[in-house]
Amino acid sequence: MTYFTIENVSKSYGAVHALKQVSFAVQRGHVHALLGENGAGKSTLIKILAGAEHSDSGEIRLDGALYQPKNPKAALAAGISTIYQVFNLLPDRTLMHNILLGKEPRNTWGLLDMKAMRTQTRTILARLNASHLDPDMRVTDLRVGDKQIIEIARALLNQSQVVIMDEPTSALNLSEADALFKVIDLLKSQGVTILYVSHRLDEIFRLADQVTVLRDGTHISTQAIANVTRGSLVEDMIGRKLTGVFPERSHHGTQEVLRADGLSMRSALHDISFSLHAGEILAIAGLSGSGKTELGKAIYGDLQLERGQIWLHGKPFKPSPMNALQHGLIYLPEDRKAEGVIGELSVRRNIALPILKRIANPFGFIDEQQESTVAQAQIETLDIKTPNADQLVINLSGGNQQKVALAKCLAVHPEIFILMEPTQGIDIGVKFDLYQFIADQAAQGRSILLISSEVTEILGLAHRILVMRDGRIAGELEGATATQDKILRCALGEAVT
Amino acid sequence: MSQPVDRSSTLRRVVSFLGENGFIVIFVLWAIYLSLNTRNFATANNLFTVLRQASIIGIVAIGAHYVILLGDIDLSLASNLTLSGVVMAALMVNQGIAPLGALLITLALGAGIGVINGFIITRLKINAIITTLGVLGILEGVAFIITQGRTISGSEIDAIKFLSTGTLSSIIPVPVILLFIFYGVAFIVLRRTTYGAHVFAVGNNNKAAWLSGVNVNLVKLMTYVLAGTLAAFGGVMQVARQGTATGAMGSDFLFPILTAVVLGGASLTGGRGKIFNTLIAAIFLTSITNGMILLGVDIYTQRVISGAILIVALSLDRLRMMRP
Repeated sequence: MTYFTIENVSKSYGAVHALKQVSFAVQRGHVHALLGENGAGKSTLIKILAGAEHSDSGEIRLDGALYQPKNPKAALAAGISTIYQVFNLLPDRTLMHNILLGKEPRNTWGLLDMKAMRTQTRTILARLNASHLDPDMRVTDLRVGDKQIIEIARALLNQSQVVIMDEPTSALNLSEADALFKVIDLLKSQGVTILYVSHRLDEIFRLADQVTVLRDGTHISTQAIANVTRGSLVEDMIGRKLTGVFPERSHHGTQEVLRADGLSMRSALHDISFSLHAGEILAIAGLSGSGKTELGKAIYGDLQLERGQIWLHGKPFKPSPMNALQHGLIYLPEDRKAEGVIGELSVRRNIALPILKRIANPFGFIDEQQESTVAQAQIETLDIKTPNADQLVINLSGGNQQKVALAKCLAVHPEIFILMEPTQGIDIGVKFDLYQFIADQAAQGRSILLISSEVTEILGLAHRILVMRDGRIAGELEGATATQDKILRCALGEAVT
Repeated sequence: MSQPVDRSSTLRRVVSFLGENGFIVIFVLWAIYLSLNTRNFATANNLFTVLRQASIIGIVAIGAHYVILLGDIDLSLASNLTLSGVVMAALMVNQGIAPLGALLITLALGAGIGVINGFIITRLKINAIITTLGVLGILEGVAFIITQGRTISGSEIDAIKFLSTGTLSSIIPVPVILLFIFYGVAFIVLRRTTYGAHVFAVGNNNKAAWLSGVNVNLVKLMTYVLAGTLAAFGGVMQVARQGTATGAMGSDFLFPILTAVVLGGASLTGGRGKIFNTLIAAIFLTSITNGMILLGVDIYTQRVISGAILIVALSLDRLRMMRP
């Protein structure tokens, strides 16, 4: 049964047509996937449904009635909840204060009924299989996956009939994603309609009943999942056939460029030792909480090590971003929007920021000509969609902001890369270009520490794989012979056979 | 549905223009009003007086502007100005040190105060407001200890009087020339140097800047040193203007310095601001006092109106944050 329809919806931002006459229908109780590359118009459509933006023309009907939310509050009242990539949570408040925000139970005196708040929070968390979360924990102490659960809990409490999820797994690891899928199954079984936006085809096939593909603001197709294949979806998304093969592994040298010796950090890392060789792609795999994120941060100096020593080219290295850049070590942060780019600066300035001193004269004056050249080269390499290099980064789409963060790293021409989830949120077409780029860098003798939750890319790229669990290295696998199964077993602590 | 969207984007443009330039509109209206209602406002003589009076506030406001670009605030600038003025006068009058030597020592003192602020804020990680508030108290106290509550005066100060009353080709006052030179340099430093780029980067996103290899602590320290040095120079100019120094000589500066920056549209959360708007705002503020004197408004009412203007400035700041 059709639950809501989108008819000829258009939306422009200045000269940019984000949506052009888009029409499709969503069935009640379905998981309806919305697919498309960056800039396809997914985010705009979501914002219109969520009441955060207004369409220029066209109409949306919800259960037959015209649906025109004035603002996000009106959308919520109409039973449409949206869970964005960037969470709208109060970081310093407890889970129960977050979940029950605006719906707090009160006692006869008009005061907050803390006991009822705890009970209600526990009940709703139990419904989401998240009993491990305590109502009194603060949001800031949660992992990304759990923050998402809190957002979903809020949607449940709102009795939403439609839940829109924008790239919900982009920051989740395998087990967290799996937990999320179970929650989605649960919601579906309760008759909730889900509009699911994702780049990841595996998830679409795991979850979706129907799938709609947008490209360049235009509706391309809406089909039942049974009628599509991976190939047909990708073709619809990028408008051409894709030859998605991983580049061949090059032979790497034996010269050690980076050595970690007994790295330890309170509860996160315990006695981590490994070597990275010239031209080697070394992947760090593991579930979230395994310490792989902390390891990457600690080597770059974003987190403070308690014990242990890092050696670069046989010399002791004191981790800090400034030191790292001086020694040709570059880091791509996981949280690109918060840590990778500076929104109110231009694309050009963002890309050149780590190398400003290199392109300045001795008096500190920046060679703007060279700055533009460097930026333009990266804009072209990564196909960053921006009107020009002087555009503020904040005006770009989320995916393109990510590319700017990556461009910054590439512009440094480093010897060693620490890449944290490098393809997270990257277009599928660009993804393989990026894999090729990583492989090329390795072939040219540069070393890559690839910290990733995407087992496919680890298997496709890495020479060696270190699997982490509970802050320790649980196992080492050869990239060429490893399998998804072996990595997962190792990460979960089961014996590798 | 298309019409309301168009209207809202027009509204957005008006709002953003007013948010960034609203005070200039008010300034123009105020200048027209004064020109029509007073005999003396629109004379070259009076306009140069306004600029001369704006010069000290304007020069010290450069430092305040830089600190606010970082997302911090420096409350100690006016008391730095006081102490520097007192030290400058004492060195010349009591110690008999030549003007140039006294100037260098005073500027070093101002820079030193900046080092202390910067050190406490970046190394001890104490909030900038608290730090500079504490330093403000210390500096005022020291200024009073040096003067013993008396006024320092003497003919030695005449040697620097040109900083206030000197003119170029007997038309353009020296302080006005200094004002424009300082702003020109401040603009170029912000726009064209790595340091300037780093100030904007730190103010916009501290963490991302640090991860990009920006030495955030050094950028902050340098900025407090710059602000402290400019405040000390402001103190020297104020001594030149008054011909004397007292322990309270800078107390009327705290307010207009910060008002100029905020009125000029610099965002208090950092990362956004136009240095020339701060200059225009400093001139505007001076013209308010000047105009009210010409109109015969009493000094207490002047303070009420100045306070109201700060609140209007802050409201414009809020208006800019809202994206309708």
